[in-house]
Amino acid sequence: MIDGACMTNPLSLWNFYFRNKRKVLPVVGILALAILGVVVTDSLLASARETAYATFGSYQKLILVAPRATRDQDLANPLQESLSRLRDVQLQVDSLDGPGGISSYYDAVVALPARLRGQLPSVQQVEVDAANARYYAARLRGDLVPLGDLIVRVQRLQSEEKSFTQLVQQLTERPNDPRPLITYLQQHQTWLQSVVPDSAQLGRLQSAVISASADANGLQASLQALSRDSANLNTSGQSLANLPVPPSPSGTIDQFKSALDRLTASLGSIEEPQPGLDKLLADSARIPGTAFVKRDAYSNLDINLLAGNAQFDLYGVDQPGMAQLLALYGDRVAAGRLPRPNANEIAVSEEIARSRHVWIGGQLGNNLDELDRLPDAFSVVGIIRGPTRIGVIPLDYMTQHYLFERRYQGLVVVPQSGHEQVVHDQLQKMIGSTAFRLFDWPYIKAKIDSLIQNLDAINRFLVILVTIVLSLVVGLLNNLFFRQRMNEFGLLAAVGYGRWALIRRVAWESLGVTVAAWGVGIGAAIAVLSWFNTSFMVPHGLVMNVFDWNVLLLHTLPIPLMVFLFGMSTVGWQLLRLDPISIIERRD
Amino acid sequence: MLAAQDLVLDYRSGTAIAHAVDTVSLRVERGSFIGLIGPSGSGKSSLMYLLSGLKRPTGGAVTFDGHDYRELSAARLIRLRRQHFGFVFQQHFLVNYLSAIENVTVGALRRNHDTAAYAQELLRRVGLGDKLQKRPYQLSIGERQRVAVARALVHRPAVVFADEPTASLDQATGHEVVSLLAEYRQAGGGSVVVVTHDPAMLTGADRVLQMRDGRLN
Repeated sequence: MIDGACMTNPLSLWNFYFRNKRKVLPVVGILALAILGVVVTDSLLASARETAYATFGSYQKLILVAPRATRDQDLANPLQESLSRLRDVQLQVDSLDGPGGISSYYDAVVALPARLRGQLPSVQQVEVDAANARYYAARLRGDLVPLGDLIVRVQRLQSEEKSFTQLVQQLTERPNDPRPLITYLQQHQTWLQSVVPDSAQLGRLQSAVISASADANGLQASLQALSRDSANLNTSGQSLANLPVPPSPSGTIDQFKSALDRLTASLGSIEEPQPGLDKLLADSARIPGTAFVKRDAYSNLDINLLAGNAQFDLYGVDQPGMAQLLALYGDRVAAGRLPRPNANEIAVSEEIARSRHVWIGGQLGNNLDELDRLPDAFSVVGIIRGPTRIGVIPLDYMTQHYLFERRYQGLVVVPQSGHEQVVHDQLQKMIGSTAFRLFDWPYIKAKIDSLIQNLDAINRFLVILVTIVLSLVVGLLNNLFFRQRMNEFGLLAAVGYGRWALIRRVAWESLGVTVAAWGVGIGAAIAVLSWFNTSFMVPHGLVMNVFDWNVLLLHTLPIPLMVFLFGMSTVGWQLLRLDPISIIERRD
Repeated sequence: MLAAQDLVLDYRSGTAIAHAVDTVSLRVERGSFIGLIGPSGSGKSSLMYLLSGLKRPTGGAVTFDGHDYRELSAARLIRLRRQHFGFVFQQHFLVNYLSAIENVTVGALRRNHDTAAYAQELLRRVGLGDKLQKRPYQLSIGERQRVAVARALVHRPAVVFADEPTASLDQATGHEVVSLLAEYRQAGGGSVVVVTHDPAMLTGADRVLQMRDGRLN
């Protein structure tokens, strides 16, 4: 400076920006806001994808073999079916034990003269068989009465549970209206008195089913032996002309056996929800390249993925299986412990615990969140930390504690590294079109990508829309500002600045504004995302990469680029056609 | 130094042709003060545009220091204008966001201490030594025009073209502005060509040329 005389270039960019900050800053602000918006929406989308990947990341190292026809299983009612079969068997067992049945046959065999019985040793055998059959028939008859009663009570409880759920819903919607409660109590008073004690009997249904199944099997075996031995007796009796061998009750036995078969199958579906699983387990373990296979009474927890809710997989495995899964993923129990056998306990990754706002001592399950498939209130006893999110629950509790809730069982097949595809193909070949299907990482990832793809398309459309609108708005502002500076450009053109020099000058000015806006927008976005990540994402177990340069730079680039090109093209066109004389001669 | 030979400038509108400048020949000697007067539409401004290279003539030739404009590319003509000519227009055309001193240095070819000192000196000479940092909107119309004069002189041009520099000024201020240009000529800075419709402003001119209907009388 010489006495205040400035030696810097008066037409420098800095002078332009600094002296026109009132005009430049709003444009920078608008662009920066748009860039901030794009970064935030893109980052949230990327976060949704990454969170989904992390949530289902356990599939990267295992294949879940799960039952296919879950809808059919949901619709199936093994209790009702068993009750019908049970009544058939009750009728058949009565006729089996009635006239022309095994009691009559037993009596006739016992009444044979001692001389004949001595000549035909097979009579002894038939006598034993008939006695066994009578014994098991009597036991079965004794089993069926309480079993039928239990099934009816359980059905009533199920029905009551539905009414009660409906009542709770009504009271939740209208907490100040006691009418639904009064109506319920009036309608269900009798029911409640009879049903409430049944809740204590629920655990007995399982043992009653097992007992009835065992007695039915004993009876089946006795009847088969009776059929075989009475045929032998008939054959040997034909050599004795006057042997009064009684007629075998084979017709009655056949009818009873088929009724009993149906009951056994029906009871089996209560006992064993996934028939064929044991064989599949054994066959899977023999596939070359398989590291280990575990039976999995899996369940799910409802969690928020930002792009919507999803069901987080819980592995219902035995205690060694829990340790194996943790070792597989390099995870560890950071707090607490793994669930104990046969206990309604759960250990989950800390991100999932945060997502559900629970820690050790907290509870999870359908009782607390109806979207959880975990069929009961499970206590959180362990927090797992590590690269992969998992949750484990005890296999035995899941398989032995529930009769009515979903308790599908599947397998967790863990391939050795590098053998994933081979094991998958072998498993697929093995299960064919049975009631099982496979879930592996390529399948899960494709599902996630498909979900995000739709959101991505919407986001891209919005970004394009924003870019176009911004280009028009900022281009218009640019033009208005340019028109206000026509005198400046006219003078500069007159005193010896070429058109291209002026275009270059305007281009640098525009470029500076857009680059500044870009920088401010990205800086603001990083600040906002960092704050959002700390205050919301991490506490909710969601994944967000604040410094995703792909999003920060590439995804936002079209906005400053389009705004610059559009603004420059219109102003540049006017500068190319600039006639300084027309400006000089203007009298406005 | 600056010479025009048989200059013609026609404007066509359909089939009609208007002769804005009609066969004008003229010489502007080094250090001379030429006044161009005439009524509105007489072609005096058009003649100034032709002499300064702001417009290309329909016919005839203009030479400056032996350089025929016809032989110069657009870029060289622009460079010649920038290096050797200074301009004062009826409007000041100051850049709004720049101070008085900055507006003056817009016309400078080099930006160094000497230029800054000279710009400051020019403003002092035009009576604005205490208003170096004022913005155009903080100056009166006459002051703005004086800044414009300083801007036209800061690079010590060989010829200063002033097109109606006093039209928007009162009589006294107009005289001051023209006196500034005359002083520049007298100090040996260069030639001055002043276009005006007011003969009273040209009392100090070496020659006053009158134009009418595109011709010099």
